[in-house]
Amino acid sequence: MAQGALAIEAPRVRIRAARRLGPAARAWLLLLPSIFFLCLFTYWPIVQVLLQSLRIETFGSDSVSYGLGNFERLFADADFSGALINNGLYAVGTIVPSIVLALALAVGLQEATRLNALLRTVVFFPVLLPLVAAAALFLFVFLPGIGLLDYYLAKLGAGQTNWLGDPGIALWSLVGLTVWKNAGYYMLFFLAGLQAIPQDLYEAARIEGAGAWARFRRITLPLLGPSLAFVSVIALVNVITQVDHVVVLTKGGPSGSTNLLLFYIYQTAHESYDYGKAAAATVVSVTLLLGLSFVSLRTLERGVHYEAA
Amino acid sequence: MQLLSLRGLATAGLAASVALGAGLAAAQAKTEIEMFFPVPVEGKLAKEMQSLIERFNEAHPEIKATAVYTGSYDETNLKTRAAIKAGRPPAAVIMSANFILEYQLNDEIQPLDPLIEADGKTPDAFMGQFWQALHGNAQFAGKVWAVPFQNSTPLLYINATQFRAAGLDPDHPPATWAEWLAAAEKLTKREGGETKRWGLMIPENYDYLGWIMTALTMSNGGLYYNPEYGGEVYYDAPTMLGALSFVDELAHKAKVMPAAITDGKAVSTAFFAGQASMVVLSTGSLSFVRENMKDDYRVAFVPRNLRNAVAIGGASLMMPKGLSPEKQKAAWTLMKWLTSPEIAGQWSRFTGYFAPNKAAYDLPEMKQFIDSHPDAKVALDQLKYARSWFATYNTVAVRKALEDQVQAVITGDAKPAEALKAAQQKADELMKPYVDSTALKLPAAM
Repeated sequence: MAQGALAIEAPRVRIRAARRLGPAARAWLLLLPSIFFLCLFTYWPIVQVLLQSLRIETFGSDSVSYGLGNFERLFADADFSGALINNGLYAVGTIVPSIVLALALAVGLQEATRLNALLRTVVFFPVLLPLVAAAALFLFVFLPGIGLLDYYLAKLGAGQTNWLGDPGIALWSLVGLTVWKNAGYYMLFFLAGLQAIPQDLYEAARIEGAGAWARFRRITLPLLGPSLAFVSVIALVNVITQVDHVVVLTKGGPSGSTNLLLFYIYQTAHESYDYGKAAAATVVSVTLLLGLSFVSLRTLERGVHYEAA
Repeated sequence: MQLLSLRGLATAGLAASVALGAGLAAAQAKTEIEMFFPVPVEGKLAKEMQSLIERFNEAHPEIKATAVYTGSYDETNLKTRAAIKAGRPPAAVIMSANFILEYQLNDEIQPLDPLIEADGKTPDAFMGQFWQALHGNAQFAGKVWAVPFQNSTPLLYINATQFRAAGLDPDHPPATWAEWLAAAEKLTKREGGETKRWGLMIPENYDYLGWIMTALTMSNGGLYYNPEYGGEVYYDAPTMLGALSFVDELAHKAKVMPAAITDGKAVSTAFFAGQASMVVLSTGSLSFVRENMKDDYRVAFVPRNLRNAVAIGGASLMMPKGLSPEKQKAAWTLMKWLTSPEIAGQWSRFTGYFAPNKAAYDLPEMKQFIDSHPDAKVALDQLKYARSWFATYNTVAVRKALEDQVQAVITGDAKPAEALKAAQQKADELMKPYVDSTALKLPAAM
């Protein structure tokens, strides 16, 4: 009896297995080209960088050993800690103001009037420029004395400033350029987020007698949580991955005051030919970036209030 | 990292080109070679280079040369290294003259002596056709490694109109540091606390600053690196201290030069706008200044404290290792053709660089050009006092170790003596791997 039952069961199981395997196999087949290219251009290079960061080569000998020597040298390098600090300042200096500015612009230009549409376009315009082009333009904006900035500041009675040549100012000039460039982009995400907030919440708040600030604080800001989390991560990634303006405007100078991590990696690899140290710096900065993105997503999303319906 | 994915790509490219090359070899017997070339200054140089190569190919039916534009000097260096690492080196490269040493140290370029000797010449006789100042960066460690192609030196440019207005004679520009400082003080214009016009500006961005500091140190009797050994620099030395203290004085005591970092582009813009009366720029900028300067201007030697001396700049042709004998021969033919008097002269008149080949200046068209451009003559005359360019193991980083500190002095964040100590220490650290495996690699006692 038992044997008969099994004999009947077996084909059914096989059919179910075939059905289950069918779509899976098809899925893998469809994914295969992407996986191939991802492996070739993303995962394989990542493995190579990890290996390179552990490989220790000495000039004039072919012997290779593996260890943490590159990381030790990296952490002992004052230029690396300098770039790390600069990148930290640059992160705080660009992320906070550009998000605040983007939020203010989004709330201010929320109503779909014709004037607002025009103003949105104006604010969004810098996003359309490639960073390299923007930096090349700002080279002339920042020229001491003759540049656009000094020219108009002089009309207001201000003196000459060497925006890129003074080590105390240069990094903040780059910060200014970045905020100008990115605020419009982030505004776009906030505008989209604002559209999703139901109007009846504001009406209810008005009936309860809540002022504009209270409405912003209690309704807009919490409900923009997902947008805020997303924009923060994008901004964080931008801080590490965008260096075009450093290359065009300062090359990390004067006296290393505008050197950022990615440019440090470039210099170490291609000017000092120290591939081991450059790979170690890459590993450290990518780890840092992943960690920060993870933390900011977790903390910001915990406070997120998703719409119930 | 970009380089790693590049390597993968280059391997794929190599496989493809091997297949392609095999097919072509069967079809025709022309030797195909590639030459990497940079365009460090603005202008239509890339186009001119393509037409030169076309002329070369017409004159040499057995060779098919292709000129590959590879960006700036630094980018060309990067791409050449990537190509060599990928096992597919170009047959010839126009390389910044101070990077040649590193290729030799890394055993990546071909000594040219066998090719010179095959032509029935001695290496010294071959080098003899080029200006003496260019030998140091091309012939070292007992062999010829490169052939000079386009060269420059720093030059003092002065605004003649402003000179006259300040009671100075533009036909007798400052020749010594004392005259230089005095002229700069007379030329600087202040209104209230504000400087309206600077007496002097020098380019202080990376690369340019190192070159200018070399010129000032040399003018002060010094030489801040060992031209015979790539593991030694003398930043912390009296001649260098004198040069940097002079810069400090110009910026902070005399206040005739901005106490902040000015980029080369800002320097030329200020000169054209009449906001800087004297500037130091490359002879390679001669054509650029000629086209853009509205005021009357003159050029002069870089002023001296102890002697007239400047470093050369520019680029040379080099040949990577790993080429087949046919490609070597074809590349050598191209290198000799590009550096011949006629072609070198034509390139010089087009770009503003001076021609490395002395015989170029004996050609009638070149004589005529020099007669009608007195500024080009000054540049040529200064060549007598020129010396070889800064080149060490890890050149860019070692140079930057100094530049960062000089910038700190200019911006008032460091004093000359302590700055030079810091620069020396950093440079020694950077060169340590090389020094350890050469000068400090000693036989151990039993």
